[in-house]
Amino acid sequence: MLELKKIYKIFNKGTIHESELFHDFNLKVEKNEFISIIGNNGSGKTSLINIICGSLEIDSGQVSFDGEDITNKKEFQRYSKIGRVYQEPSIGTCTDMTVLENMSLADNKGKSYNLTRGIRKNRIESYKERLRELDLDLENKLNVKVGELSGGQRQAMALLMATMTPIEYLILDEHTAALDPKVADIIMKLTEKIVKEKKLTTIMVTHNINYALEYGNRLIMMNQGEIILDESDFKKNSITAAEILSIY
Amino acid sequence: MDIFIGILEQGMIYAILALGIYITYKILNFPDLTVDGSFPLGAAVTAYLMTNSGDFVSVITLSHNPYIICVYALIAGSIAGLVTGIIHVKFNIRDLISGIITMTGLYSINLRIAGSANVPIFNYDTIFSNSLMGSIFPESLLKYKVIIIATIITLGTKIILDLYLKTKSGFLLRAVGNNQVLVTTLAKDSGNVKILGLVIGNAIVSLSGSILMQQQGFFEITMGTGTMVLGLASVIIGTNVFKKAKFMKATTSVIFGSIIYKAAMSAAMDISFTKASDMKLVTAILFLVILVFSEGKKKKVKADA
Amino acid sequence: MKKIIGLVLILAIGLFTGCGTDTQATDAEVEQFTIGITQFGEHGSLDNCREGFIAGLAEEGFVEGENLTIIYENAQFDNGISNQIAQNFVSKKLDLIGAIATPVAQSSFNAAKAKDIPVVFTAVTDPVAAMLTEGNVTGTSDKLPVEAQLKLIRAMLPEAKNIGILYTTSEVNSLSTIEEYKTLAGNYGFEIVDMGVSATADVPLAVDRILPQIDAMTNLTDNTVVGSLPVILEKANAKAIPIFGSEIEQVKLGCIASEGIEYVELGKQTGRMAAQILRGEKEADDIPYEIIEQSSLYINTSVMEEFGLTLAEEYLDRAMDVAK
Repeated sequence: MLELKKIYKIFNKGTIHESELFHDFNLKVEKNEFISIIGNNGSGKTSLINIICGSLEIDSGQVSFDGEDITNKKEFQRYSKIGRVYQEPSIGTCTDMTVLENMSLADNKGKSYNLTRGIRKNRIESYKERLRELDLDLENKLNVKVGELSGGQRQAMALLMATMTPIEYLILDEHTAALDPKVADIIMKLTEKIVKEKKLTTIMVTHNINYALEYGNRLIMMNQGEIILDESDFKKNSITAAEILSIY
Repeated sequence: MDIFIGILEQGMIYAILALGIYITYKILNFPDLTVDGSFPLGAAVTAYLMTNSGDFVSVITLSHNPYIICVYALIAGSIAGLVTGIIHVKFNIRDLISGIITMTGLYSINLRIAGSANVPIFNYDTIFSNSLMGSIFPESLLKYKVIIIATIITLGTKIILDLYLKTKSGFLLRAVGNNQVLVTTLAKDSGNVKILGLVIGNAIVSLSGSILMQQQGFFEITMGTGTMVLGLASVIIGTNVFKKAKFMKATTSVIFGSIIYKAAMSAAMDISFTKASDMKLVTAILFLVILVFSEGKKKKVKADA
Repeated sequence: MKKIIGLVLILAIGLFTGCGTDTQATDAEVEQFTIGITQFGEHGSLDNCREGFIAGLAEEGFVEGENLTIIYENAQFDNGISNQIAQNFVSKKLDLIGAIATPVAQSSFNAAKAKDIPVVFTAVTDPVAAMLTEGNVTGTSDKLPVEAQLKLIRAMLPEAKNIGILYTTSEVNSLSTIEEYKTLAGNYGFEIVDMGVSATADVPLAVDRILPQIDAMTNLTDNTVVGSLPVILEKANAKAIPIFGSEIEQVKLGCIASEGIEYVELGKQTGRMAAQILRGEKEADDIPYEIIEQSSLYINTSVMEEFGLTLAEEYLDRAMDVAK
């Protein structure tokens, strides 16, 4: 369970551009929930996940994982339980390194990055297996630098890498926004599959209302730092894209 | 022939420097000006240990042995890198400024360590001339002694570096220069990884300072001036000229880059319309030509794609 | 690929021109010599040394363009370049290397050792500390006549007590000269107040700090300090503190007087030593390094007038006035 309590956040404090985004913001995410978050630019969606991950500091309030207060934990420490995929495919991968090296790098998350070999030979087959499932021909490009792959291939890799090791939460930060529609569909299907397989608690920020309605079991709409719509499973299924757009 | 020997000698010794700068500039993506101080630091430590050898402490710490002295130079350099890293990561000071701060401080520290602005070591054992080397090398090979020893050290450094970059720790170092965010999402403190990279880079740079000093026979406080530019030239020449040579490791390219750079400098000295005082201009032009050349190609590739 | 070819071309050009000097047609009648001169940087005194060196060689019959080829290189105060010049000279198998200032003398000596090419240096203040006294190397020291200078200051300023000296911490020659000043100052009833700077930018502050503590100031041949002489003179004049120089150029600029050395003379002396070696009369190893015994006295009478100072009788016959 992930919980945000009484979150306050003011940007540009003390300047004429001062603006308050979160004022007593609260959110509870139950285990195995798949939340889709939609909202205008500036509604606070991305700030919200940045606060969860620790890349944005809050003025006051509490963030907790399973009852444990992690407000003061650093960003990198929080990622031991979180996998995150960004909008820009290159952020989720290391473009100067090969597919195999990237997979190995991610496979070692949670363990020591010591002076033993970076690539474990006995793992190569399992990497290939997973890449083959993507059906993007990546299993034959193990020694190609990730920078030479297409955006879709890279994002698929980023998703694989983020979920390779045991994590509890998956944060998706508009992870299909930079892809063309066909590839975006593939990535969404893959996301759903992984979330189900690994039983991940997922928060997905998206601009795509259809994805928000199609995937996940809870829908949140935000506006100016407040939740203006929060619908769970059964009700969500009856909402249409048109209805959403009317309050957007 | 002798010109070639001279170029190879200098090229090989400065190649170690270039490997150090390759770590910070290319792998870590950090324009590290510390090197202008850590290069003479290695030389200053060497000068101090050599001229103070013979006392009790030096016997115990083995610091009378020129090969062990190289290890001390490595350690000194790694401390310099650590300082820059801490300034940058822990105090949030910009990369360029962090390096400048350490470099500036090192000028005084180097003077203190060496004891004087100029310390000759003509009469001391060095890694190039000592009784052991005297007995190993036959008369016919004596001419190539410096090249052989410098090549061994350079290749040794390169091989260790290559092996390191294939370890898990090495992977993380490569990742942090390329994509800091990824390292964070791997639940690792990217700042610490950066510090590690600066430690390794400056240790190697300091080692090269020690080796150059032992070869040139004296320490001079000004010997660090322009170290960054010189190393950077080798790295950029090497990695750009041999970009298409996929079979070649980047570290190998960097070594060739250093030799090419020294060859070009040597040629500049001899071309009738240039003279030694034009060498910095030649460096600048060489830099520009190679960068423009390789950038031009990159754009073309993008346009094609 | 084009790039590689281009670089090979640069290399090849370098090599060919390099070989050119080696294979130069030699005159059958007159023996031809080729020497290299390496100078640490562009600097008035060092240029004078070079000029003198060439003149000294000419006096002894080694005339540039007739029986002597001179390859001149300037290291731009850069350690790396000075090494490369030395390497380059050695690889050309020159007959002799003339080295002007300590770092290039050391680079040349170190590089030339293996090939046994003699190195003749000048403008090295302390050849012993620079380890340039053993091996195929000799030359001249530009050590300042410290004792003569102290004597001169005492003669002109009978009341003075504290003498200030500014120096650069990175100039090894300055440090050894200050040591000598400190050792000898007591004999003339002086005390030395020294203050180190690390760059030109520090000089104005250092002058402000040192002036209240001193009765007079004397200069070394310290490049950084001498380069900032106009600033020093202006501040010192305002406080009516006389400044003594260490060579002619400084006196021309406004120092009262100097017991210094004449760099052209020093260069000539060095050139004559080089000639002995070229003729094969002596090995460099057998010639001990030399210093200029007789210092040259320069005075600036217009500055002396401003300060109301006069020159003692004993100095009058050899003092040279450089006032405009």
